[in-house]
Amino acid sequence: MSEIALRLENVQKKIGKKEIIKNVSLTVNEGEVYGFIGPNGAGKTTTIRLIVGLMKLTAGDIKVLGKSIKDDYKEAAKHIGAIVENPELYPFMTGMQNLRHFARMYDDVPEERIEEVIELVGLKKVIHGKVGKYSLGMRQRLGIAQAILHRPKVLILDEPTNGLDPAGMREIRNYIKKLAVEENVAVIISSHLLSEIELICDRIGIIKHGELITEQTVKGDEETVEKTAIKVIFDVEQIDQTIKLLKEKNIDVVKEGDQLITELQRKDIPAIVRHLVEHEISIYGVTGVKATLEDQFLELTGGNIIE
Amino acid sequence: MSNFLKLVYNELFKIYVRKVTWVMYGFLFLIVLGGAFLVHTLDDELSTTYTDNWKEQLQEENDMYLGDISSSSDSEYFSLYYGELVERNNYHIENDIKPLNYGAWSYTLENAGLVSIISLFTIIIGAGIISNEYKWGTIKLLLIRPISRSKILLSKFLSVFIFAFVTMIFLLLSSLLAGAIFFGFEGLNPDIVVLKNDGFQHVPILGEVITDYGYKVVNLIMMTTLAFMISTIFKSSSLAVGVGIFLLMGGNIFVQAFQNYDWVKYILFANIDLKQYVTGNVLIEGMTLGFSVTVLFIYFVIFTMLTWLVFTKRDVAS
Repeated sequence: MSEIALRLENVQKKIGKKEIIKNVSLTVNEGEVYGFIGPNGAGKTTTIRLIVGLMKLTAGDIKVLGKSIKDDYKEAAKHIGAIVENPELYPFMTGMQNLRHFARMYDDVPEERIEEVIELVGLKKVIHGKVGKYSLGMRQRLGIAQAILHRPKVLILDEPTNGLDPAGMREIRNYIKKLAVEENVAVIISSHLLSEIELICDRIGIIKHGELITEQTVKGDEETVEKTAIKVIFDVEQIDQTIKLLKEKNIDVVKEGDQLITELQRKDIPAIVRHLVEHEISIYGVTGVKATLEDQFLELTGGNIIE
Repeated sequence: MSNFLKLVYNELFKIYVRKVTWVMYGFLFLIVLGGAFLVHTLDDELSTTYTDNWKEQLQEENDMYLGDISSSSDSEYFSLYYGELVERNNYHIENDIKPLNYGAWSYTLENAGLVSIISLFTIIIGAGIISNEYKWGTIKLLLIRPISRSKILLSKFLSVFIFAFVTMIFLLLSSLLAGAIFFGFEGLNPDIVVLKNDGFQHVPILGEVITDYGYKVVNLIMMTTLAFMISTIFKSSSLAVGVGIFLLMGGNIFVQAFQNYDWVKYILFANIDLKQYVTGNVLIEGMTLGFSVTVLFIYFVIFTMLTWLVFTKRDVAS
């Protein structure tokens, strides 16, 4: 079992009398990619600001590799790398000057490490150009570069693929995965692009009104996949008869146009199909639709509404 | 390099990598050069060269001044001004000290007034060093490092004064250079006659240059610290620059407006010119050097403590 890299313990943040974050607790393991999603204004960025120490906790604690950011800020911050909101760097300095600037804020970032990181994020050709002239995608890459210079154990990325083209997105995604797997880094990604999150994350947490509503494993093991009910669409000729047959088996059916929609566990599908065939139903198609994270997200949050 | 020195290096790098800073230096150099050119072309008196008969030359000058005093009937100011010149000349003659010809050092000494321009620049730099990080959004990347906020604040505060110090050296050197080009060089560290509290004295000019510039630095430090505080609290450099420059230029008006009240001596601006205790021309009866230094120190502590409290305690939100 891998170690816990980041732990939020009953984190609470009040601004004035307003409770922005209510009792959020979560853990992220080493080598895990954790997706942090929620509608606008739910408290994603506030939570991130609390983790990196830009905001102070009202109650609770946050621990990085067991070190509290309240009592042992320096030790905790040593292991954190982050982009908070947009990757804003000094526009009048070159990419290289920016990286050297942030490298100087740590004890041990040698010149070779800077070169290595530049290579990694693919900025070698433009690194001596002014950041003010960079595209958003280039700034995003430079943002990631400054976040990983000191080989952090916890990497926090706010909307990391924002502004990247599809090829760049895939590259960064692969890179994040690689960091998690090879260097055992815990990565926390906040995003509104749910499909993006689904592709990289091992686990997601959904936050709404400052509360962590649910945590889910994205890439479930075989067993959970078997047990999860999925949406199954039947395309048959004898609709009414099929409904009757399914009802006899205690299966809820909804008729939508010429299609019948049910919810079944994957392992039950063959038996049902066999049952229908035995009663001489003509089946044109059976489609299993995996509920996406997006459906779950909308279901849980009731749409992307700012309240 | 130690941790803290690297932070100071970072801050200085950010100051000197920007074009704005170099425009300031260019501007200052042009003023120094232009000033020397103007003095050279317009002012004949200054370029009087004293020869071996300097005693006779001074005597002639004195006769002229005395003539001027008696001929101008009404002006008290004139008699004071010329009277001082006459006394100075007499001091030279009595003590057998040949007056120093106008040159690079004299020009540099006169340029002490230009420290106000450096104050102006330092206020601008000091007002921007925190608020710009907010403006650029880089404050978020700066404050997530394993370095306490107090250390970051101190590195910024120190860097502002390192900038002021470097600029001061630049002013001294360019004044010497421009002076040497237009008026010639008087020697490595010539002596000069100056009027002190207890009469004329013959002293090395370098000491005079340092003390004259030094007295002006008090104002620079206080106004920059104030601007630094305002910009940290309000995250706005324009407000800080505005207030800083206004008080730099107009602080004295306050004091004059309320001169008749006793509490005026506790106002920052009444204490900022420490030279008043050297010339003996004290602004308000009963004030002493010790009193002023104490008042200045208290203001400085208040300004820096407020800055520190706000900067270290505040949440960084968008």
